[in-house]
Amino acid sequence: MGKTQVCPPRALPPLPSGVKDDIPRSHPKKKKSRSKSLRASASSEVLAEPVPHRPSEGSEPPTTALKEDSETPAQRRQKRTRPPLECETSFTQKKTSSPSLLRNENGIDMDPAEEAVAQKPRRKAKKAKPELQYANELGVEDEDIITDEQRVPEQQSRFTAPTGISQPVGKVFIEKSRRFQAADRSELIKTTENIDVSMDVKPSWTTRDVALSVHQAFRMIGLFSHGFLAGCAVWNVVVIYALAGEQLSNLPNLLQQYKTLAYPLQSLLYLLLALSTVSAFDRIDFAKTSVAIRNFFALDPTALASFLCFTALILSLSQQMTSDRIHLYTPPVNGSLRAAGIEEQILQPWIVVNLVVALLVGLSWLFLSYRPGMDLSEELMFFCDTEEYPDKGSKASS
Amino acid sequence: MLQTSNYSLVLALQFLLLAYDLFVNAFSELLRTAPVVQLVLFIIQDIAVLFNVIIIFLMFFNTFVFQAGLVSLLFRKFKGTIILTAVYFALSIALHVWVMNLRWKNSQNFVWTNGLQALFVLQRLAAVLYCYFYKRTAMRLGDPRFYRDSLWLRKEFLQGSR
Repeated sequence: MGKTQVCPPRALPPLPSGVKDDIPRSHPKKKKSRSKSLRASASSEVLAEPVPHRPSEGSEPPTTALKEDSETPAQRRQKRTRPPLECETSFTQKKTSSPSLLRNENGIDMDPAEEAVAQKPRRKAKKAKPELQYANELGVEDEDIITDEQRVPEQQSRFTAPTGISQPVGKVFIEKSRRFQAADRSELIKTTENIDVSMDVKPSWTTRDVALSVHQAFRMIGLFSHGFLAGCAVWNVVVIYALAGEQLSNLPNLLQQYKTLAYPLQSLLYLLLALSTVSAFDRIDFAKTSVAIRNFFALDPTALASFLCFTALILSLSQQMTSDRIHLYTPPVNGSLRAAGIEEQILQPWIVVNLVVALLVGLSWLFLSYRPGMDLSEELMFFCDTEEYPDKGSKASS
Repeated sequence: MLQTSNYSLVLALQFLLLAYDLFVNAFSELLRTAPVVQLVLFIIQDIAVLFNVIIIFLMFFNTFVFQAGLVSLLFRKFKGTIILTAVYFALSIALHVWVMNLRWKNSQNFVWTNGLQALFVLQRLAAVLYCYFYKRTAMRLGDPRFYRDSLWLRKEFLQGSR
């Protein structure tokens, strides 16, 4: 209602005298149509764009503008009454067309006061426009819309203009535990810098480096197991020959003494052989069969060592049955001839196989120790693509 | 992208399972005071192999190569590991069933036959190869190239499609 009192009649110069009389009557009409048009525009906004946008923003500035107008003289009022309307309509139209125009560069909604400021220059621009040709209000509004559309870039520049004036606030509001808390900008910059520093440090230790370090650690374990295995196998053979006596004449003594050792040693040999074989395969990159075979035929010590290790593993496993037999050995009651014959038959090949295993693992250890640093898997797996990892590629080649 | 800490954790778990597998393969014949002990060891060993298979497949699914749909490329690269693991798992179950069947009544009996010996050797050899190939695959999957688009990947894809 306040609007009706403050706002001057919208009857404008082009209207005939007969119509002038109707001004007081037509005023509520106008208001109705205006509100209608506003509602229509608002509903169209709602229907057309679900983008959140407060209607108060659109309605408030014109009311303030109208209040300002009420203080101006009547002449000026007459001239100025139209622009606020235009502004209102054009503003709503503009909003429907591009709501982003109401936002400044930082994406923050403009203050109504700022909007009013932004509208003022437009009003001045409108003054120059001839208003006589508009017969009715609808026509006026239509025309306004067209002119506004034509002036979109200009308006845009005017709406965005205040953003240049805005200064950054010293405080930044950060959401912490569902609440916005003020934080000092300088502190925030410091913390982000720290994060950046830590982010810079982290990539130096990548998954690739983890894999490489594990691989190198396993190579060390393998080297140790090779030596331990060779020593163990040699010790085993020495113990067997020592217990068996000269020309293997004291086999029952070997069985009785070695019985408790047979299975644990067999298990330990398997464990060490498995580790050594895996390590030896790693050295020649056994998965790349072509490279491994080529190296073997080229009598590469590492390839030979892998082959010897694998052969020793097969031989050692083939003696599992005999080892279990020795493990479960029960001495005969009166040392019958039959039992003695079986002992010799079974034990002789077992002793020979153990000797061969000891020789094989001893040789393989020697071959591997000849070039302990050689590791084809490391080169092929981790440094194969020099164009992608130039720094590491040069390191590998060196 | 695979995180270093996550990868280290997964690698540690894989190595733990591999170490357990190796330990059981080496010392299960010694730990046969009661048949139940061996049975439990064997069951855990088979579950460990299954876990390792699940982990390696989850690692495959996590790669960019897989997510880009280049499953065939991934299979081509690691088919040795996949096939060998399957063979080893089958051999392990067969040996465990056979050994437990023979030793269930008396674990200190001499139960070896030529067939059992052959199966034993095959299973233990497969175990060594499985260990080597699995370890290699686990470490290769730490390569960042598998987790991003790269020239290498495009080359591999072109080679595969030829």
